[in-house]
Formats: sequence, C-alpha cells, structure tokens
Amino acid sequence: MRIHLLKLFLNESGKRRRKTGLITFALAWGSLSLLLLMSFGRGLSETFQESFKGLGDRLLIISGGQSSMVHQGLPKGRKISLYPEDVELIRAQAQGIRYISPESMTTLTLSYRGKETGRNVSGVYPEFANMRNQIPQEGGRFLNETDERERRRVVFLGWAVAENLFPDEEAVGKRVLINRVPFTVIGVMKKKLQTSSYEGTDAEMVYIPFSSYIQFQENRQIYMIHVEPESGGGAAGLEKKIKELLGRKYRFNPEDTYALNVWDTIEQAQEGAKVFMGIQIFLLLIGSLTLIIGAVGVTNLMYALVKERTREIGIKMALGAKRRHIVAQFLLETLLIFVRGTLWGGLVAFNIVGLVRLIPVDYDFTGVQSYLLRPVFSTDILVLFTVLMGVLVFFSGIFPALRASRLNPVDALRYE
Amino acid sequence: MIELVKIRKVYRTGQVVYEALKGIHMKVNPGEFIAIMGPSGSGKSTLMNLLGCLDTPTEGFYFLEGEDVAGLSFDQLSEIRNKKIGFVFQSFNLLLYSTAFENIELPMLFDGIGRRERRERVEMLLERVGLKEWADHRPTEMSGGQQQRVAIARALANDPPIILADEPTGNLDSKSGKEIMDLFTELNREGKTILMVTHDHGIAGYARRKVEILDGQISTDTPNGFGHPTSPSPESPV
Repeated sequence: MRIHLLKLFLNESGKRRRKTGLITFALAWGSLSLLLLMSFGRGLSETFQESFKGLGDRLLIISGGQSSMVHQGLPKGRKISLYPEDVELIRAQAQGIRYISPESMTTLTLSYRGKETGRNVSGVYPEFANMRNQIPQEGGRFLNETDERERRRVVFLGWAVAENLFPDEEAVGKRVLINRVPFTVIGVMKKKLQTSSYEGTDAEMVYIPFSSYIQFQENRQIYMIHVEPESGGGAAGLEKKIKELLGRKYRFNPEDTYALNVWDTIEQAQEGAKVFMGIQIFLLLIGSLTLIIGAVGVTNLMYALVKERTREIGIKMALGAKRRHIVAQFLLETLLIFVRGTLWGGLVAFNIVGLVRLIPVDYDFTGVQSYLLRPVFSTDILVLFTVLMGVLVFFSGIFPALRASRLNPVDALRYE
Repeated sequence: MIELVKIRKVYRTGQVVYEALKGIHMKVNPGEFIAIMGPSGSGKSTLMNLLGCLDTPTEGFYFLEGEDVAGLSFDQLSEIRNKKIGFVFQSFNLLLYSTAFENIELPMLFDGIGRRERRERVEMLLERVGLKEWADHRPTEMSGGQQQRVAIARALANDPPIILADEPTGNLDSKSGKEIMDLFTELNREGKTILMVTHDHGIAGYARRKVEILDGQISTDTPNGFGHPTSPSPESPV
C-alpha cells in the first residue's frame, strides 16, 4: 500500500478516535492483566529457580543408609556409613565429576566477646561453596585449598550467624571461639534465597575446613558427600557408578535403594521447573482470555463501524478504491485501536512491575512474598505478547474488513 | 466511446425475479452531453450504475473505449472508475469528516499521484469551481451548491473523459442548480462526455441529446438542440 494512502487512513482513523475510547480502555485493561500475570508468573518461576540454587540445583547429596536386600551372604538391615576416603574413591574412579566434597556436621558453641550461640558447624572442602552457590560478601572469602591442607583454624559464617555475633561490627578478621578453640572469620556469606535445606538454611551455618573439623569429631564417619556432575544429564549415570563403587566397598547391592540415601536436586529442580512452567502457561491462558474478551469487543466495534460507514465505503469504491484498500483501512484501524489500548496497558504494567521490584527482598523470610514480589518484565514476554497481539489484531480486524470490502458499491452508496 | 449491446440486468430476490433493463442498445460518442430521463423505476439509475462500472450487466456487452468491461473484476472496474469516470451524485456523497481539499484529493490518492501534483491539481480545481477559499472547510460548513461544486471538482480530479451525473441539481435551489448546469455545459464544451440522469425536462434541456427510458428499454433517443435549455418546465428549479 502506498504511503499516501497510509497517511489518509491514519488521518481518517484519528478523526474517529473518540468512538473507540471505551474499547481502548478494555484493551488496556486486558493487556495490563496479561502482562502482569505473565510478569508475576515469570518472577515466580525465576525466584523458585534462584531459591533452589540456594541449596544447589545440580547436586547429588549422598548419605549412608541401611541395606534392604540380602547381598553376598550378608543380611539386610546393615547400617551403611560413609568415610572421608570414600570421597577420594569416588573422585578417582567415577567419571564426569565437576566438584565433590564431604560434609560432616555437629552442633558446637560459638562465642565472641562473651556472646554465645549454639550453631551447626560443618567441615567441608573449598569446592563446597561452588556447589551450594555460597558467595562471600565483599571483603571476605570462602575456605581455600591452603586452609584445607594446613588445617587452618578459619571459619566462614552464614549471614544470620554473623548478624547475631557481630551486629554492629565487621566480622571478617575477628576471632571467634568454637568450643573454646579460636578461629579467624575469613568471610560471611552473601544473602541468597533458599527453600530446600537440611539441618537449617545456609544462613544459619558455620563452615570450617574439613581437615580442621575432624579434630572435633570423635569418630571418622562423614555426614554426607556432595557431588556435582559435569553436566545435568550425567547425574543418573554418576549416581549408578557411585552406588556400584560404594556397593562393592561396603558389600551392598547397587540396586538397593535404601543402602544409600541419594538426594538428586537436579531431578527436583527439573520437576519444580515443570510445575512453574505449568503455572506460567495457566496464567498466560487466563490473561489471554481477558484480552480475547477485549478483542471480541474490537471485532464488534469494527462491524459497527463498517455498518456506520457503509456509504463512505461506497463513495470510496466509486472513486476508485480497490478491495485491498478497504481491507487495509479497516485492518489498520483495528491495529491502531489495539496499539493505543495495549500501549497504555503495557506502560502501566511496566511501571507496576518496576515499582514492585523496588520492594527489597526479605532473604530471611521465604514465604509467599519472596516469590510474588519479584515480577519480571522480560524480552521474551514482550515478544510473546506482541505475537499474541498480532494474532488478535488479525482475527479481530480481518472479518469486518473483508465484509467492508465485499460490499456492493451500488448498495453501499444507497445506504442511509 | 461507449457502446452498450443488448444489455440486460436482472435482479433476483428469493423467488422474485425483476428485469430492470431489457436489452439496451446505446452508443455514446466522445464529447456528447446526454440526458437520460424516465419515470421512477424505469431503469435509468440501473443504467447509470452500469455505465459507471459500479455494477455489471447480467447479459450483454459494455464497450468502453473499445474494451468490453462487462466481464472485468472488481479491482479492474475500480481502476476504470478511478481514471475514466467522474461521478456527481444528487446527495453530493462527500466524506463529512474530510475537508473540501481532502475530498477532492481522494481519487488521486487511489491513483497514486504524488503530493505536490495532488496539491497543484486540487488548488486548480478549487479555483475552477470558485471555492478557493473553502479548501479547509468541511462539507457540513458549506451550502448545497458549494458541496456540489466540491463534488464536481472531485469528479474532475483525475481528468476523466466521462462525467456521470445522477440528478445533480436534485437537492439544490434554482440559482445553485443553474450554476452547476453552467459548469457542466462548460465542461462539455471543453470535451468532457457527460451523461446525466434527470427527471427534470428543464435540466435535460442543457443536454444535446435526450435518451428516455421506459420499463427497462430506451423509448426515445433524440438530439436536443445545441446544448441550451429548450424551455424550463414548470417544475424545473432553474
């Protein structure tokens, strides 16, 4: 279509803007609902994924269990315990491991300048921080290889522990007593969302080098082994291999699902992601239905406009308008109504999302507000919204436009 | 220029069949000024719609500048309406939301004429019909005579060889009617072929040929003096 005809149609549409006010409002409302539902749905999903990373979203967490199958002449019901050398056995013989770390834990007393608190203290390798997404706050660090090798008495604190022991001062560099043994604070964990946990969230934990920890422990058993595979897809194979290795060592059937407790966070994250994807699709459907009601309104309005402007269509046909000119004009007018409505809806939605995101996240409270107050207005939402708009514009406008273009010029000119 | 051969137009509404034109034969030479007359329901408007390519015949041939247009598609007929035919209606049929300038410009927009040329032509046409100062006025701000002059300017926009006028003075007072008819006479002198439907003998007197339709057939087809009204009829507004 030529540019001057486009200008003519835009000009003519502008003259009738008042008639489309109500339907513009309906579309603005529909777009606002759709965009907010999509943004909050996406926020919900992303916050879930973020909070899941708080525990570690690519982990196999393995602890000892109890055999439930007779194996190699040994009865069932035997307790299977894990030991530090099991970590090295797995590291040496299983393929596809990115990180591995033991974790042993016990409740010990921490004190600083007369203030005492009982906390779970874990002994771990430096790789543990990578697996559990534990990032030190500025000025601090996590445990490193030298700490482990030299059995240094250094400690990394969860932020809740640091806030408790050091409410008004910097924790890093200070000395705390753990069961009366002095440890230097080398770092405090950055706040993170965490929904899954065992023995409390990481905010409440205290981490020291594994080599230092075993000095506090009477026996050599370890609580858990954390393994991160090189790829998410390799988790199942790795789990099987670990069960084979440990089954051979501790003489249990690798098929015995009770001999070892394996917590596959990858699978859990995937299941969770599916649930949240389902929620997003559901919200998208609800929003789309709201918008479709607006689109039906536009179709009605366009039919009414075609009827009202029958004579005008006849005049244009008499003056040389082709069918495609008439179709183009009514489609363009439909598009303009949509653009005006959705632009308002989009602007309001964008600002609401921006305002909600200004509310600070409460990392110590992982209730509903942590999920609802993180809406996301992302590019793919806009793309999806635009595609949906395009479809609605086409279907709302094409039928009235075709009806207009198929009018008989003689009848149209006679129309009163 | 125009030749109608055995043109029939039949309307069917359910079981009812109505034959509006029953085999019309007619020739129109370039530069003619023809008044088509007849009582209500005689078929003169149907004939005008066919001549204006607004409708197609049920049977017969319509040769326009040697080409049979009876079987052309809607868009091909649109092209003909745009370039070869200018319409002037009894009720003016101007776009009420648009100014005089925009109304006159419309056929040129459908023809894809550039902005500068459009402006020049519209200004020339407004001057021609004596409405130079009314370019930015909407039809609702104008008298009937002024609106009809805008409609004539619009009909001339693409300089078509044929002007079809359907009761062009029907909604006008006698003074405005005379002005409009003088304008048609002038256009005819300049070479435009004018076909005008009217039931008014006084107005028909401006034409040089008079074709009367009765019951869907041409009853008389006679020359009509030299393009001046013979004698205004008592009911004539002029």
